[in-house]
Amino acid sequence: MTVKIVTDSVSDVTPQVAKELGITLIPLNVRFGEEIYRDGIDLTSDQFYNKLTHSKTLPTTAVPPLSTFIEVYDKLAEETNEILVITVSHKLSGIYEAALQAIELMKRKCRVEVVDSILGCMAEGLIVIAAAKAVKAGAKLDEVVDITRNNIPRVDIRFAFDTLDYLKKGGRIGRAEAFLGSILKVSPILTLKEGEAYPVARERSRAKVIEDLHNFATSYSHIEAMAIEDATTPDDAEILAERLGAKFPKERIYRSKVSPVVGTHVGPHVLAISVLGEK
Amino acid sequence: MRQVKSITGQDLREMFSAATGWLEKNASDIDALNVFPVPDGDTGANMLLTMRSSIEESYRAPDRSASAVAQAIAKGALMGARGNSGVILSQIWRGLAQGLAEKESFTGSDLADALLQASKTAYNGLSNPVEGTILTVVREAASAAQAQATSGDDDLLSVMETIVRAASESVANTPTLLPVLREAGVVDAGGQGLYTILEGALHYLKGEAEQLQFRKPWIISSSIPLTARTPQMMAADEVPYGYCTEFLLKGEGLDPDKFKIKLKKKGQSLIVVGDESTVRVHIHTLDPGNVLRYATSLGTMHQVSVRNMDEQHQGFLEMQKERAPAVDIATIAVVSGDGLSNVFKSLGATAVVPGGQTMNPSTKDLLQAIESVASDKVIILPNNKNIVLTAEQVQSLTTKTVKVVPTKTIPQGVTALLAFDYDADFDTNVQIMGDAKSAVKSIEITRAVRSTRLGELVIKKRQAIGLLDGDLVAVGNNAFDVLNQVLAKVDLDQAEIITIYYGVDTEPAEAEQVSVSIREQHPQLQIDVVQGGQPHYNYIISIE
Repeated sequence: MTVKIVTDSVSDVTPQVAKELGITLIPLNVRFGEEIYRDGIDLTSDQFYNKLTHSKTLPTTAVPPLSTFIEVYDKLAEETNEILVITVSHKLSGIYEAALQAIELMKRKCRVEVVDSILGCMAEGLIVIAAAKAVKAGAKLDEVVDITRNNIPRVDIRFAFDTLDYLKKGGRIGRAEAFLGSILKVSPILTLKEGEAYPVARERSRAKVIEDLHNFATSYSHIEAMAIEDATTPDDAEILAERLGAKFPKERIYRSKVSPVVGTHVGPHVLAISVLGEK
Repeated sequence: MRQVKSITGQDLREMFSAATGWLEKNASDIDALNVFPVPDGDTGANMLLTMRSSIEESYRAPDRSASAVAQAIAKGALMGARGNSGVILSQIWRGLAQGLAEKESFTGSDLADALLQASKTAYNGLSNPVEGTILTVVREAASAAQAQATSGDDDLLSVMETIVRAASESVANTPTLLPVLREAGVVDAGGQGLYTILEGALHYLKGEAEQLQFRKPWIISSSIPLTARTPQMMAADEVPYGYCTEFLLKGEGLDPDKFKIKLKKKGQSLIVVGDESTVRVHIHTLDPGNVLRYATSLGTMHQVSVRNMDEQHQGFLEMQKERAPAVDIATIAVVSGDGLSNVFKSLGATAVVPGGQTMNPSTKDLLQAIESVASDKVIILPNNKNIVLTAEQVQSLTTKTVKVVPTKTIPQGVTALLAFDYDADFDTNVQIMGDAKSAVKSIEITRAVRSTRLGELVIKKRQAIGLLDGDLVAVGNNAFDVLNQVLAKVDLDQAEIITIYYGVDTEPAEAEQVSVSIREQHPQLQIDVVQGGQPHYNYIISIE
């Protein structure tokens, strides 16, 4: 029986890739006032960012109920006896805790391992994809867990923001607090470090931002996988992918949209690039 | 929309219990914020212990009326209060209980009234109430609740939502009110603690107790820009903090007010609360023996605690070091003009030394700034070619490691500071910042201080002159014309952003006009107009 890979919607793994590689996605909840949406299911990215820009109430995000995890585990346990769950950083969400707790409560007998990626977005996604590919290549659970743990420090991500307001309001500002309050208009570039937001650079124009993201990727000596994602600015993502074509085949770059649950905290103009490889 | 009209004692008890659980998740983060009155890093723990004591007592309350439970909560808080924040919290619950007296259950407007009482009682407990603390938070939350209730909304849930929102804004505002918070780059710990408690209570009323399991309260971000949370408090501080001395005194006919007067001169942060049979005392004193001896003569002592705050402070510093950003590098910029100072501070400059053209700071001014910052590694941005040399001389006068990134103009300084990399070490940052500064072009428009001749330019005293990267390239009768002459010498097609800092003698409207005229000719440019407030220079313009 093959290992089943489960992850959360923060990983930004697209439904197509998930289907191809047999990955189960657990949606987080996004809440606008009294309305609750399941990330990526009841609410597409486009609908969400439209709402985010126009709604007066800011959305909040929440871990889905434990029952969601239990149902997923029990369902998968009908086909396998080994499940690997890869979650977003426990410093950004309670998913990891919930994924662990649900193990105690599942009805069927099945081995479930939960790994905290201490990442999010496609940085987490690349880890998940690599795990699913290892499964396809025949790896058993312990092996996949090892591969996953080894891959985590090999992934890095850069997020370009046009404002940190959303991150601040959502309480996920972390050490990027240092970039708050600038009188000049700047575009902050952040990364994830030890599971939380961390300041990297500030640029004054979108062109420089794209230049920075490009330089980040080209600084790698070996690239195993790469992902580019945007929220509402596909043109910028395309420019970046095009420019990187010389370094890494464009068709192999995973393209995705920042999920609504992350969008709640980063705003509509985020552009992110993740690389798995060696610097 | 969910509504909760009113709740009884049973609910009140559970609400407090949920709030305490919520606080527990946040207590260590709150500890790390603690800088006032003494940075000893125990606010979160103290508030939590106080809340736990409240909860225990509330379960002993025989009666299920809201009033009886509130009394028990207040009594428990008084008996179990720890630390400054704990004692103030106990006063808040005491006022709340007074406000809920004789109520079986309470509604939104009852809560608003009780919170107002709580705020008053909290202020009364202190001989010297300080704003920008938990006191401000309870007062502003109470006043928002009053406004809501007065408008006719009696729904408990909706009043509580207002309370939590107001408390959040109030906490965000604490660094504006209390300079020590601003310097440390934190919001008030006690205020954050109270906010977290209120937020926990709101979650309970909303019926969200179960979802809270996997969530965690967040520390509120300041409403004003704070510099990076560098270990400011780590600067050698020679003032001893003494002993945090706390006890509960039981007796008959005790007089808290008289007590307060007696103890006032014996130390700092004095709080005396209670009634004629039980009095809780909290004081920071250099001579705890003296305080205890006096108290022993009046009644029996309970829960006596004497803690060495210098030791606690050391522990706190260790904790801060762990949480501080990985690089500990200070940047000092030489800048004149309020607007420009704010620009540099908002971009993370650790200190700003006033100075610029015709008012170069002395070596001593720079040395003082270097010694005043907490870091041992300092980067100086002189932002003027006449100051570069002075800055370089300072290096030999201090034991700290000082490097000068020789920025010759304000735009170079801004660009260099923006390039600061939080992930890089000292030498790399000096390198990165030095490289970055050359990527910007600077235009300065000022007036000639004397008549002169420079190449083909004939300049009369007081005429407007324009400098491009420090070289005099244009002269004319008004600033606007000269600026256009200089701009004509720059290839703006290659540029992306123009930032116009206008001086103290320049009208904002004129600066706007400059911006409009550039935009007309170069619609692709992003143009920012910023009030620089600098003397002598009508305009300082950066072209990137």
